[in-house]
Amino acid sequence: MFDPGRPLTGIRVADLTMIWAGPYAAKILADQGAEVIKIESPRAWDNIRTLLPPPVAPGEHWWNTNFYLHEYSRNKKSLSLDLGSDEGKAIFAKLLTHCDVVIENYRTDVMDNLGLTYEWLREQKEDIIVVGMAGFGKTGPEKDAVGYGPIIEMTSGMTSTSGYGDDGVPYKSGISYGDPIAGICAAAAVATALIQRKRTGQGQYIDLAQREVMSTLLGEFYMDWSMNQRLPDHMGTGHDWMAPHNVYPCAGDDDWIAICVRTDREWEGLKRAMGSPDWAERTEFSDQILRWEHRSELDELVGKWTAAMKKTDVFAALHAERVPSSPVWKMLEVLRDPHLKSRGFYEPLRHPEVGIWSVHGWLWRVDGAGPCILAPAPDFGQHNAEILGDLLGLSDQEQSALETAGIIASRPEGVLLASEMPTTPSML
Amino acid sequence: MSEHDRSQPDAQLDPGRPFDGVRVLELAEGISGPYAGRWLAALGADVVKIERTTGDPSRAFGPWPDDLPDDETSGLFLYLNGDKRSVTLNLETSDGREILRELAASAEIVIESFEPGYLAGHNLGYDELSSDKSSLVMISITPFGQTGPNANLPATELTLYAASGQMWLTGHPERPPLKNGGSQPSYQAGLNAFAAISGAYYGAVMHKQGSYIDLSVQETYAAMAEAFHNRASQHGIEAQRSGNNLNALWGVYEVSDGYGGICALPRNYPGFAKAVGLPELQEDRFADPGQRLLNNDELMAIMYGWFIGQTRQGLMQLGIEHRVPFGFVASFEDLSNSDHLKGRDFFAERNDDQAGSLTYPGRLWLSSGHDWKMGRAPQLGEHNVEVIHGELGYEREDLVRLRELDAI
Repeated sequence: MFDPGRPLTGIRVADLTMIWAGPYAAKILADQGAEVIKIESPRAWDNIRTLLPPPVAPGEHWWNTNFYLHEYSRNKKSLSLDLGSDEGKAIFAKLLTHCDVVIENYRTDVMDNLGLTYEWLREQKEDIIVVGMAGFGKTGPEKDAVGYGPIIEMTSGMTSTSGYGDDGVPYKSGISYGDPIAGICAAAAVATALIQRKRTGQGQYIDLAQREVMSTLLGEFYMDWSMNQRLPDHMGTGHDWMAPHNVYPCAGDDDWIAICVRTDREWEGLKRAMGSPDWAERTEFSDQILRWEHRSELDELVGKWTAAMKKTDVFAALHAERVPSSPVWKMLEVLRDPHLKSRGFYEPLRHPEVGIWSVHGWLWRVDGAGPCILAPAPDFGQHNAEILGDLLGLSDQEQSALETAGIIASRPEGVLLASEMPTTPSML
Repeated sequence: MSEHDRSQPDAQLDPGRPFDGVRVLELAEGISGPYAGRWLAALGADVVKIERTTGDPSRAFGPWPDDLPDDETSGLFLYLNGDKRSVTLNLETSDGREILRELAASAEIVIESFEPGYLAGHNLGYDELSSDKSSLVMISITPFGQTGPNANLPATELTLYAASGQMWLTGHPERPPLKNGGSQPSYQAGLNAFAAISGAYYGAVMHKQGSYIDLSVQETYAAMAEAFHNRASQHGIEAQRSGNNLNALWGVYEVSDGYGGICALPRNYPGFAKAVGLPELQEDRFADPGQRLLNNDELMAIMYGWFIGQTRQGLMQLGIEHRVPFGFVASFEDLSNSDHLKGRDFFAERNDDQAGSLTYPGRLWLSSGHDWKMGRAPQLGEHNVEVIHGELGYEREDLVRLRELDAI
């Protein structure tokens, strides 16, 4: 029966992506029901498995259980295959005849260097959809530039818009924001290409530059440059016409609440939530324009009110008055946000060597969809036999020979065993 | 399994665009829904944008040429609404609702961003609109989704940034949490909505079955907390703000003419050290990945000194030459003049009758299978006559009556 949450059921994806942006795209495709086969070489495997060693004694197969891997690879299958060898490439060619989509986020030149050009891919499967996600695209003078999320942010214009405003320093986002953005866009690109294939019978090549996608989230700044030759000021947590509009300190350790007032009605709500203090009746706070002009003083007074209270109590008072506000949730807190909890946003993920922990479920909710999480990230090479044997018809002996030759493997080569792990600080 | 949908292609002629012939009703204001609708229109959809009679509020946000406010020249509106048709409807009138029902009957996709419960309360919810059309795809985009205790709580970019956990991670560790620039919660939700609609529409084409999608801005943004979230969840460890530098080789630095940066993973180190060329980078305390983070402060001091002697373009070229992840903090002036981006046809470049010469992102990706429309945005109600009279068959005198009743 059709699961409306899984419209890509029946689509098979050869997933050559690594690290962040590509795997985020493939995660969305897998959540939507596509059969995503994550292909890694026994030697050039996805670094995400070991990039951040666990903060506890690593389990025996820690490259399969690492929290970072599971953020990106639930609901996928794993095939280890050396695409740099002739034998591996021949198997890949065979696999392609069963695939609809190839997706990769290598450096611009890597696919061609491996001989996996669009022309070659099309020779194996004429209507194949190929998505390349190089940071700066496949053409142009900057095509050979490389970059992870923060570089994408910097070179897209994003970073130039962010900062406290008092020191001229541009700030990057806390996450590698360029990566999920490119990933979501690539998932959209695959769906539109499938629609186009249904219309025309043709596949296509998609050259998706991560930096360009990020830049589409900044349209008004391009317009201001075109219209007025003006570059954005750093607004900090302030706003160009709302006040109060800021984060205010609360009782607790580095606890904050965001509060915004857009209208006189919301100002009245804030006053009631604060217990109608006398100072709020002063003339300089009597309308929006005056409040904005006196925003520094206003921020200080609102901050005095919040500082004595827990952020959840401030939020409850403002929620009752329908004033836009939210606690600045920390990572452990957002996992327990009562609202997200009531919507079942986080779903349990089970892994035999880890136990149960919670991960985000559906990015968007489709009425009548089944549960989002069907499987944790696969073990390295977990589906070798299923794909090589059941799908491609290779015998057990042929598979053993491939393993002996190092074309496939059940463990990433060169990975440190748990007992060999040095104790070094994590990059996070 | 993978062959099932390519055996009978619908057409073999001019490839056209993926959403050619598909009608989209956009009942969405602001950024998220219009952003999604903008790309559907660029990919061929006939996007009929239903505006309240006073217009999408984004018409009242700038920037405007020479800072002169005008409903027809808002940069934000012009950016987000290219290639759409504008019809004004007052859904508080029964005539307005009837016209909407008639329009919905011809639509394959509906995008809406009203407060949860509003459309259903006016008998315009998914159940009503899909009753004669089971293949209808409809998406609701709201700050907190359709259900739960915050569903009807008003929100802003700032409060959504806080509620998603993103704000906690952004900014200097010794200063308050920081919001990143622009309207990122809304934009990223719009991109998610575009992906959601595209996937759901493919399902509808293949299975003749539509779907109703509830998209929460908070949730799509909370889902991007990457390692920080899963580490908290699996190991109970809280994350800290790291400002501009997660470590010496991951962050933003001042250079001689602005700001630049480096994002090197351990495997990028050899190339990085060679590109920089300082002999001390070859010493074990930095070159050995096991020791590097233990000597992070010292490495960072070296990096501050090295970066300040670089230029933004110099860094970019060094990165290209050595395939090392260097970058620079680009301005919109840099980007608008970029030969690289212009050569890749990234920009819509138009001379607008009212707004003047404009350069702005005009596509998402390059495809061998289709191009992108990069046309202008409609004026308020520009297509009332064309749609209500020409397509729905209302008489011209009906239009006068509807206008007098404040329905259009």
